[in-house]
Amino acid sequence: MSSHVVSFLQWLHNTGFSAWLRDSMWAEPIIETIHVLTLTLFFGFAVLLDLRLLGVALRSRRVSEVLNQLNPWLIAGFLVLIASGTLLFCGDPVAFYSTIFFKIKMVLLLVAGLNVLVFSSTIARKLDEWDLDSRTPAGAKIAAIVSLVFWVAIIAAGRAIAYALPPP
Amino acid sequence: MSFLSHFLMWFCQWCDDSFFGAGVRNSVWLFPFIEILHLIGLGVLGGTILILNMRLLGFRFRAEPVSELAKDVQPWMRGSLALMLVSGFFLFSSESVKMYGNPGFRVKMVALLLAIIFTFTLHRRATISDLDDRTQVWPKLAAVISLALWSTVGLAGRAIGYVGR
Repeated sequence: MSSHVVSFLQWLHNTGFSAWLRDSMWAEPIIETIHVLTLTLFFGFAVLLDLRLLGVALRSRRVSEVLNQLNPWLIAGFLVLIASGTLLFCGDPVAFYSTIFFKIKMVLLLVAGLNVLVFSSTIARKLDEWDLDSRTPAGAKIAAIVSLVFWVAIIAAGRAIAYALPPP
Repeated sequence: MSFLSHFLMWFCQWCDDSFFGAGVRNSVWLFPFIEILHLIGLGVLGGTILILNMRLLGFRFRAEPVSELAKDVQPWMRGSLALMLVSGFFLFSSESVKMYGNPGFRVKMVALLLAIIFTFTLHRRATISDLDDRTQVWPKLAAVISLALWSTVGLAGRAIGYVGR
């Protein structure tokens, strides 16, 4: 299994596209800047949503309103992060894969995604019952805390990848 | 001008020689740890500034007055700004003499000063006044200026690592 992954990444590394990303003077700085600045949009809005789910901020607003207002931007930000992150990975796939932090980050992302799925298929289904409550139910608070903890860890792991990669 | 550059150079040298500057510089873990705090502050600060400006521009949360949203997010904006300033200062202190000559850092500091002054004076007035935003140009203009200033801070900050090699 693992050797298939490595040979695939080796193949990816040898493509012209990967070489272009690696050798271009502007590709990496521009993509990385987009990745980091989009983080402000995504993480900032995720924190605002989580604070509403915790009943700490935006308390006078309906949860459904906060969700509706923030969701389109959260989804757009997430897509930009995935796209720019994939491009950064493609520029040096073997080195990324060889760092432990990259693997940790992928597992953390998976759990953060599962958290969204669990939230939207359980407690968010009964949103009508607690939409206006400034004191939110325990399920919503747990989802918010899991989200905050995992996104902070994802940022930390992402930053650690850059430290673990060999210098350019 | 020469007095200012002398003073700034002296200040950078003093930070560089200080126990905290040397502490961050000589530690393997402190710089990355503080940098992650800086990034988390960036996320929250960026998110609160974006949502307020989107409201001023009329994109989001149109149902309620601007001042309501401002009251809700301002504590988080100030808290994350404080986190960024403190963590940023310690990152700076570990390599402050190098930063003195870094063009990215210089642009960032000037833009940061302007952004902070603007945020707590004219921008703040736009967020607490509840002008009818369909007819008033000023709230929208304040949002555009705020976004431009803070984007400059972010982009110049990102550039520090690239122009100083």
